Amino acid sequence: MSPMKLCVPGERLCSVEDCTPGAGTYLRHGSVFASLAGYVLRRNEGEELPVISVVKETEAQLLPDVGAIVTCKVTSINPRFAKVHILYVGSTPLKDRFRGTIRKEDVRATEKDKVETYKSFRPGDIVLAKVISLGDVQSNYLLTTAENELGVVVAHSEAGVQMVPISWCEMQCPRTHNKEFRKVARVQPEYLQA
Amino acid sequence: MPVDTKRIRGPELSQSPLLFVSPVSEVSSSSSSSRQGVRGNGDVRPVFARCGLVSQAKGSAYLEAGNTKIICSVYGPRETERKDETDMKSGRLVCDFRLAPFSCPKRGAWIQGAEERDLSAALAESLQPGACLHRYPRAQVDVNVVVLENDGSVLAHAVTCASMALADAGIEMYDMVLGCALRQDGERCLVDPDLAEEQSGAGENQGRVAVALLPNLNQISGLQADGEMREDTLTAAVRTCVEGCHKLYPVVQQAILRAVKKKAPPPPEK
Amino acid sequence: MAAGFKTAEPLEYHRSFLKENCRPDGRELGEFRPTTLNTGSISTADGSALVKIGNATVICGIKAELATPTADAPDKGYIVPNVDLPPLCSSRFRPGPPGEQAQVASQFIADIIDDSNIIKKEDLCIGKSKLCWVLYCDIMCLDYDGNLPDACIITLLAALKNAQLPKVTINKETDLPEVDVQHKRHLQINKHPVASSFAVFDDEVIIVDPTTEEESLATALITAVTDENDQLCAFHKPGGSSLSAEKLQGCISRAVTRNREINKLIDRVTESIKSTK
Repeated sequence: MSPMKLCVPGERLCSVEDCTPGAGTYLRHGSVFASLAGYVLRRNEGEELPVISVVKETEAQLLPDVGAIVTCKVTSINPRFAKVHILYVGSTPLKDRFRGTIRKEDVRATEKDKVETYKSFRPGDIVLAKVISLGDVQSNYLLTTAENELGVVVAHSEAGVQMVPISWCEMQCPRTHNKEFRKVARVQPEYLQA
Repeated sequence: MPVDTKRIRGPELSQSPLLFVSPVSEVSSSSSSSRQGVRGNGDVRPVFARCGLVSQAKGSAYLEAGNTKIICSVYGPRETERKDETDMKSGRLVCDFRLAPFSCPKRGAWIQGAEERDLSAALAESLQPGACLHRYPRAQVDVNVVVLENDGSVLAHAVTCASMALADAGIEMYDMVLGCALRQDGERCLVDPDLAEEQSGAGENQGRVAVALLPNLNQISGLQADGEMREDTLTAAVRTCVEGCHKLYPVVQQAILRAVKKKAPPPPEK
Repeated sequence: MAAGFKTAEPLEYHRSFLKENCRPDGRELGEFRPTTLNTGSISTADGSALVKIGNATVICGIKAELATPTADAPDKGYIVPNVDLPPLCSSRFRPGPPGEQAQVASQFIADIIDDSNIIKKEDLCIGKSKLCWVLYCDIMCLDYDGNLPDACIITLLAALKNAQLPKVTINKETDLPEVDVQHKRHLQINKHPVASSFAVFDDEVIIVDPTTEEESLATALITAVTDENDQLCAFHKPGGSSLSAEKLQGCISRAVTRNREINKLIDRVTESIKSTK
């Protein structure tokens, strides 16, 4: 097998008539150029033109994008919103810290006016959420948990024990049997594995 | 004067011993029309380059040209600290350029001086056209450069070093950015000058030029010229710098590919 | 999977290694990372050294300048050490004035210089109450991977050994100094202090030469500085879990052997540089 072709950013890879530009490439004046340093991959997908991409050892650094499911940790709450740190995008951990906000009206889909943030999240909870906007100048990433699959996945009770969900809005501490309110996520089986 | 309480302070006043060296020992060489040694006027110094030395950084590079030694590390993309409208569409490239206190013949201060701030800005402007910043909305990429030893042409080499670190960090780029400097001293034109050449010389047609080039796109992303030069001299100088940049390209390319290979074996073909 | 475990439960991850008497990077508990040294590589400095302990990299450049001695110590020169942790070396540091950690490190080095008498400050005096040397020892971290004190002191010591100062005389008539760059001499090194750092896990397990990750998870950090006569110059344990006297004694004896190893290394490097010249 011949050694794989390597490239540095700026190298012309081929004409757009030969390949479709994929990850790690860009299109300019009808040619595909590399935008990353790495291995050049050419992949055939059915009848269409092969996709050309440049692959580096680590996955390209992901940034939270609109529509992405993120795992975050609640850092503080007030009556209007909860502040969180985004830890994972999909299943890729982020190297640096990104902050997000879950507003009161984005906590659940129904009875939005009756939501109380204190009965939905507590600081330290691990929450699954979806990015709805990159935010504006003042705010951070805006997130929502208004879906059945989104919400608190891991929470600790006041006694410091991990609680078990008992309904979509309550969790129970296995030691003291105290019930606490949360916006609980219906965790899907694929996430339970991890 | 405000007192720096965060560092160990020495005496209020101290002077470099170089000020008291008897002037007899210095031999002036500016009269000769060519460089001493094997290097011709149009030659760049041999460059040593490596990528991926700083374990903590996303990407890093070290570059040595003659005695000029520069290290650069790249962090991010990470959340921007300062926010304004422009950040919403594209990322921000934040450059921090520092000369180590021991890097120049005279000891420098720890506090970033005006020269370093100018160089930071020039570096950022030269690199920006090369980076695909629109792929990193709301995020910033930090580029930190430290000059360990300054023996001339620091800005030009810092540009090259920083673009290698960006490539090593996997930040998407339209092209590499290469830098080359030149010293015009009368009719004499010295490519990649060292510190003595940068500072010597007097008379007419004196100037310094630094060019940053995107080699594949053949675009100039940064140009800094100071001094007094005739128009035709400047045009020729820029052309010479562009040639100098192209000479660097194979070295830079090798260093980056070496780091890519070292980090991971080729992915399996499907 | 191992990577996920490492990011999610770093402490448990480390504990599982320590149980087997080894560490995630394959070292034993009492093993230092490979230490390499290079001196004299910065020609603009009067003395310089670069030390690598594993990934941790620190460079020291010494610049000598002339000044007047203070009135209360007219026969003494100055040594001014400063540790800088630039944003280059780790994402935890930001540009701007030195943070707490850099200040603490600078002061720690300054105290060791004063207490151990690495260099007699009297040796730096050229003319009593008239002229003396100031040694600016600027230490810069290039790659922050734990164990900053050890690296700083090795690089400082090696740079001081490498430093050469020009001969200076005071002109009797003009009262101005005259510098002769042709004649240079080395500094007289009085003591050879070397630091050894330790981290304590879960209040009992002691490991040497911690990495950044180990430092952040440890319950206490210890630095012991000894000189070549097996004397203790400094002992630094800023809070953390309490330890028995025997354990501390163990740390000190480890520091004594480490001192020998490092001084041998410095001598070897100094010799090899001399022979190549």
